[in-house]
Amino acid sequence: MKDSPDNIQGDLQDQTIKDYKSALGVTRTRTVTLPEVQLQSGYTFDQVEVSYQTLGKLSERRDNAILVCHALSGSAHLAGLHPENRRPGWWDFHVGPGKAIDTDKFFVICSNVLGGCDGTTGPASPNPETGRPYGTDFPFVCVRDMVTVQAKLIEHLGIPQLFAVIGGSMGGMQALSWAVNFPESVRVCVPIASCSSHNAMQIAFNEIGRRAIITDPDWNGGNYTEECRPNHGLAVARMVGHVTYLSDYAMTRKFGRTLQPPVKASSNPDETGLFSVESYLHHQGESFVNRFDPNSYLYLTKALDQFDLFDGQSPAEVLRRVKARFLVISFASDWLYPPAQSRELVRLLKRSRAATTYINLETLYGHDSFLIQNPEFAKVLGHYLENEYEHDRSPKAVAT
Amino acid sequence: MHPGIYASVMKWIPEGSHVLDLGTGDGAFLDRLVRDKRIVAEGVEKNPALVSLCIQRGLVVHQGNIMEGLDQYSDQSFDYVTLLGTFQELLMPEEIVREAFRVGKRVIVSYNNFAYYRVRLQILFCGHTPITPSLPQPWYRTANLHFLSTLDFREFCRALDVSETRRACFGTHGAAAFWPNLLAAEVVSLLESQTKPR
Repeated sequence: MKDSPDNIQGDLQDQTIKDYKSALGVTRTRTVTLPEVQLQSGYTFDQVEVSYQTLGKLSERRDNAILVCHALSGSAHLAGLHPENRRPGWWDFHVGPGKAIDTDKFFVICSNVLGGCDGTTGPASPNPETGRPYGTDFPFVCVRDMVTVQAKLIEHLGIPQLFAVIGGSMGGMQALSWAVNFPESVRVCVPIASCSSHNAMQIAFNEIGRRAIITDPDWNGGNYTEECRPNHGLAVARMVGHVTYLSDYAMTRKFGRTLQPPVKASSNPDETGLFSVESYLHHQGESFVNRFDPNSYLYLTKALDQFDLFDGQSPAEVLRRVKARFLVISFASDWLYPPAQSRELVRLLKRSRAATTYINLETLYGHDSFLIQNPEFAKVLGHYLENEYEHDRSPKAVAT
Repeated sequence: MHPGIYASVMKWIPEGSHVLDLGTGDGAFLDRLVRDKRIVAEGVEKNPALVSLCIQRGLVVHQGNIMEGLDQYSDQSFDYVTLLGTFQELLMPEEIVREAFRVGKRVIVSYNNFAYYRVRLQILFCGHTPITPSLPQPWYRTANLHFLSTLDFREFCRALDVSETRRACFGTHGAAAFWPNLLAAEVVSLLESQTKPR
């Protein structure tokens, strides 16, 4: 892999990359209203708005659909350039013509999750009972609820079965939840840098983020206004989160101890400039505030922490019904979702006799390794999808 | 590795078997086995670059070391577990063969015979650690940890209470059925166990 500081991009959607060209050109998201969605908690929405994007063409056999599930800070804008701000979609590096998820071959769908803030119903959406944003009246949402809504979208799009469900981090949890809860609907499941449930450290980092938001006076019990929202708390949450997505190597390489210009020579600590890494984090925080709803951050991180693929049941029992084949990918430098979690997942899958391929890539860029330009990762994902798709279509596979 | 080893494994494994290959490398052989014998196969390989090549070939593969790879599977998941070309490099061959018999019914192992006459001659007359076509690296670079002979291997099988039901031996040029402990450079054996090894 090209070892360049440019590899540390974080979410593409937070970048303004000069002269960035996407092979997909400008891509748009659409919104559909889906009727009646019942959550695991029992709460029922009369209707749910879902923002989604589709790329490529559905084959005549309708067998080439791939659902990409986004991570915590992702959106429906998967790839291509945003019509207004011209920013690339969050996975433009890996989705497009001839890329790992090849839009010339596959029909690719990405939707904003339930509880999100990119067009799908979430805490910032108007509550039909009051006309004002739900805020903290929004019902608790779990990963499985996100998947329930995605399943309704897939049905609405007239797709009988997904060829693949793919996602990193929170997206990986959704992919796993698909394989377990809709076993007939998924042929291939690709959880990347993910896990079957959060460990104490992952919950702890999320709680720091949540605390930063909740203790911001502008949070106001969740009933903030557009003019006065807990931007400070959300920015801090993002800064902490962002650090956990990087690695020691990545940060040393990109920032080291360099100072942000203009550098002032002074012995007074108040007058010295900022370290580049500080300035970078400030930028990350500010940029995130402009596109993310603080309450959404609370709801989604809670959904992540509560996620348990097995929900207290025995893994063998839960995985027995799974029919999908799996590609599990982890990154050696990912300390937030450490490879050991993926390995444990793989062990459980294999012991349940699910055909599972596992690779721990030696990418050095931490949890974000799946979001950046990463040729090794792209090769593995691309080849796997291509082979599985050909395998599915081969006469031998049909006969057996 | 001697091509005869692959040919023997191809011959021994019946069509449609479930095979776990430990130390799959770039997957070339396992891929051939899958295509020619229509087996259902999985591989275990440590090196991510090689795992990537296996994925490119469409194989189901697990990246990890052999012991960890074996731990992934429930008892008797496979008809055959194969260990080709890596046996003398394993830190704990005994544990691994026992584990292999837990997850598989039969185990196929290939190894280099350290009692091969050219090895003996080099030690005897040159007085240095031998270098032969099947042991090509000097002592400070070789991955080999164990130096065993066909007699040692037989004893190993006895100790583990497994029987060597088939064996093929190869010299530098071809099959070496006669006096293998002297004339075989590489050996491949099919092991079976009536009882689970202790």
